[in-house]
Amino acid sequence: MSTDVFVIAAAMIPFGKHRSSSYVGLAVPPLIDAMKGAGIEKSDVDAVYVGHSYGGMMTGQRICKEIGLGTVPTVNVDNACSSGATAIHEATTAIAEGLIDVAVVIGVEKLTQFGGGALPLSPEDREVKQGIIMPAVYAMRATRYLHDFEATSEDLALVSVKARRHGALNPFAQFRTEVTLDEVLNSRAVADPLTLLMCCPTGDGAAVVILVSERARHKLGATSAMRVAASVLHSGHVEEGFRDMTKPEITYDSARDAYAEAGIEPKDLDMIECHDAFSIAELVYYEALGLAEHGHAVDLLRDGRTTFGGDVVVNPSGGLLAKGHPVGASGVAQAAEAFWQLTGEAGARQIENARWALTHVTGGGTAGLDHGACTIHIFEAA
Amino acid sequence: MTTTTEALVSEPVPDLDSDSPLAAFPEGPRLVGTRCDVCGVTMIGSRVVCSSCVSREVSALALPTTGELYSFTRLHGRGGDIRPLGYVDLDGVGVRTLTDLRETSPLVPGMRVELGVDGDDWFFAPASGV
Repeated sequence: MSTDVFVIAAAMIPFGKHRSSSYVGLAVPPLIDAMKGAGIEKSDVDAVYVGHSYGGMMTGQRICKEIGLGTVPTVNVDNACSSGATAIHEATTAIAEGLIDVAVVIGVEKLTQFGGGALPLSPEDREVKQGIIMPAVYAMRATRYLHDFEATSEDLALVSVKARRHGALNPFAQFRTEVTLDEVLNSRAVADPLTLLMCCPTGDGAAVVILVSERARHKLGATSAMRVAASVLHSGHVEEGFRDMTKPEITYDSARDAYAEAGIEPKDLDMIECHDAFSIAELVYYEALGLAEHGHAVDLLRDGRTTFGGDVVVNPSGGLLAKGHPVGASGVAQAAEAFWQLTGEAGARQIENARWALTHVTGGGTAGLDHGACTIHIFEAA
Repeated sequence: MTTTTEALVSEPVPDLDSDSPLAAFPEGPRLVGTRCDVCGVTMIGSRVVCSSCVSREVSALALPTTGELYSFTRLHGRGGDIRPLGYVDLDGVGVRTLTDLRETSPLVPGMRVELGVDGDDWFFAPASGV
């Protein structure tokens, strides 16, 4: 990158079922808090990037006008679950290229508007017409993974147990209670072999981060910060025939590029927030993100190497499984978690001396694609 | 100006008119596929452009009725209904299809499956003899 980019503030509301709040009601409070945390005024903002998938027309403008933030470009971004992270990517690119100095990035989503159940997908898609839903996609991934490798339903449950244990420490998490292995295994069947507690909940949420150039950081005197060491966005590539669903190439490719851009290796990471929309995903992503060889993710999980005290803490926030997954908000919430961890503000879930963080979201169920989008960021304490 | 050119008029594709996965072929009801006349790639569904070489010279074809079950799940509805769903890699054409499944014998990834048609419904089930 030509100019270093820094995150100097983060804010979010606890994820959950906020039935009385609109997109505006969800996003305005963290917007105000993040701007206050960054020490910026409306007049400092050069551009606003807003990730959401179901907010409808002009979601970003509807939010920003409530605080009289306007005139500057507002870009609404939809990339399904990668919407928020794509917004960060766009802001990072604009700052790194020297086009702007201060960007506000908002991720927001209100899933309670749909009344529960699986995420609504595009009715134009061939497989959606046939009845595909996201739990089915991940369930088929899980069936094949358990068939190909030495992994069991208990391993899938163990991912959820870890996520809920982490989430119990996080005041921003939708689920703040622990669950046992048996509770996960015996919860309602959703899509075999996935049970309800192996699936992320539906909910509402909003998160905001403030990104600035090195020059603006200096001018603002922001001492608490993290540097964007890599910002990678990939799209899915169509495959008409065979695809190994246990080896999602979009994340493998994005991870390779992100590590190269940051100049670090997986072993350097202190924490990862990954796209654990369903528990099988976390196992598959240990491998795709370079923590384990293909088919060997369960070794890390069973040995406790991906929780506090292990090699790298995966989803210290509780991840999508416990913190919740208001689609467009998740990528920004992951960056907020990284920010608090790398600046020592993570409270009871603080990782000691955390320096490097990786955040990862994929997005979308589209026939013929592994996923529609994948975004990976690597941050360094700065 | 000695020469003038006129902008090409791109035409929309009426893809909503032909999106049924199953159609009647001389050999019987079959899943609809599309083969690229230029590079030979086979794709699922009625398609108008090759996703590999971008040729628009493509032809409809009947897809094979047999294949290998790549993976599957059973979706559990709120009312207790169970819907088995899976991906099948069709024999010899490099095409994977999502399909409803009928569990006439226990489902296992990698098993042989074949197309079944029941009125307007179509599905794959373990191949006879499995």
